[in-house]
Amino acid sequence: MTSSAAIGRRVAPLLACIGLLAAWQVAALALKNDSFPTALEAMRAVPAILGDKEALINILASLRRMAIGFAAAVAVSIPLGLLMGRSRTVAAFFNPLLMVIYPVPKAALMPIIMLWLGVGDIAKTLVIFLGVSLPVIYHSFEGAKAVEEKMLWSGAAMGLSAAQCLVRIVLPAALPEILTGCRTGLVLALITMITSEMIARQSGAGNILFNALDMGQYDTVFAMIIIVGAMGIGLDAAFEKVRARLVRWSEPQFDMPLSFS
Amino acid sequence: MTSRALSTDVLLGLLPIALLIALWQGLVSFELAPVALLPPPGLVFSRLLQQLVTFSFQQEIIATLFRLFTGFLIAVALGVGVGMVAAASPAINATVRPLVRVLAPLPKVALYPALLLLLGFGHESKIALVAADALFPILLSTYYGASTVEQKLIWSAMAAGTPRREILLKVVLPAAMPSILTGCRIGLVISCIVVFLAEMITSTDGLGHVLITAARTFQAVDMFVPLITISLLGLILNALLQAARSYLLRGFPEA
Repeated sequence: MTSSAAIGRRVAPLLACIGLLAAWQVAALALKNDSFPTALEAMRAVPAILGDKEALINILASLRRMAIGFAAAVAVSIPLGLLMGRSRTVAAFFNPLLMVIYPVPKAALMPIIMLWLGVGDIAKTLVIFLGVSLPVIYHSFEGAKAVEEKMLWSGAAMGLSAAQCLVRIVLPAALPEILTGCRTGLVLALITMITSEMIARQSGAGNILFNALDMGQYDTVFAMIIIVGAMGIGLDAAFEKVRARLVRWSEPQFDMPLSFS
Repeated sequence: MTSRALSTDVLLGLLPIALLIALWQGLVSFELAPVALLPPPGLVFSRLLQQLVTFSFQQEIIATLFRLFTGFLIAVALGVGVGMVAAASPAINATVRPLVRVLAPLPKVALYPALLLLLGFGHESKIALVAADALFPILLSTYYGASTVEQKLIWSAMAAGTPRREILLKVVLPAAMPSILTGCRIGLVISCIVVFLAEMITSTDGLGHVLITAARTFQAVDMFVPLITISLLGLILNALLQAARSYLLRGFPEA
């Protein structure tokens, strides 16, 4: 690949951002709606939010919950997914349960979990954990299923135990697919974080967003949308960097994850 | 797979669900959890059956389904259309790709307040949110499917004198169908999730609204009913899509 193409690839998303903001600006100017501020007005409100100490603490608390929920989900889901991929019995055991849980919005469990655990951090982190788990399990499962049988035979012939095979052969071989799942999970963690805070309405980024909506502070609403959107795009880009480093040997199938479920 | 192995698998799969319900019942029976917080499963399921035959609850389901389908269909039309065109034309690809790269990881729920302000509190804002969320998996899998179509197929069609537009419709689209349907399946699950969330945030009807009403009055039984209903709806829709898939992909080596 030539370097100009590489530069183009790096600049293109930036251009897309600018284009979207410009389209927003034009639309807002054309509509002249009180509840629809222009992109510039919204961006001017961003520093005010980030400068406000309480808002900043709220947002950081949200991010902390998200990080804990995401890490816990990844730690549990990858081994489970790999086991499901390698053992038909384990897969048959868990698959129907997962299919039943899949269409249930995890954030919708928030009211029930709040009844049991209160509105604190535990409830919100648990919801994020649930939301992230499913795609990670699914992709680990698919990845482990696709591991070439011959490699496992070679491993077994060289005297690796089943557990060693799983860690030394299946895990690295399934890693590209697992990381695709993690990437989906990361975006999902952000979505679940916002929704859970929106429903619990006590603290966090989602709370700021919807409180501003209720109070008619439209600048703040749109500024929060910019902040949350930037978080999503930033986290995704950062993760993509890590992924590219970890699985340098595997040419990415496609540079965007397919499932944002 | 023999039918016997299949039925063992089914039994094995039902086991954790049965265990979960047994655990649930156990928690209630041994009074580890108060009934007000965790109603027994029997009560929840009988309440569900009782609700399913009432007219008002059916209205809620219909409202949810209407939004779900409209949003999902818009996402399918846009996703398949844009995905195909982006795979076929380098110029459009160069525009669409960075846009998708920026928009796909954006948490769409955060856009919901903006959609509310722009489109109002009725059906439109919820449909728009469902469509925005379901769009990207469908678009990406269409694009992926269409850009990995075997070149020989396209060359053969060109050699037979097929015009470009028809190649897209008659060769590329069918060849990309498995991938498109995988994207649709993901999009459908997302639609279920999102429509429910949107109804929970602001709505006067729909299953999400039923949950919120129950939560405000601390009716634990009524909170479980819409959740189980959306899970069942998801399963049914998934089965329907699976049936459509095996019909559309008849003749493919492994459907």
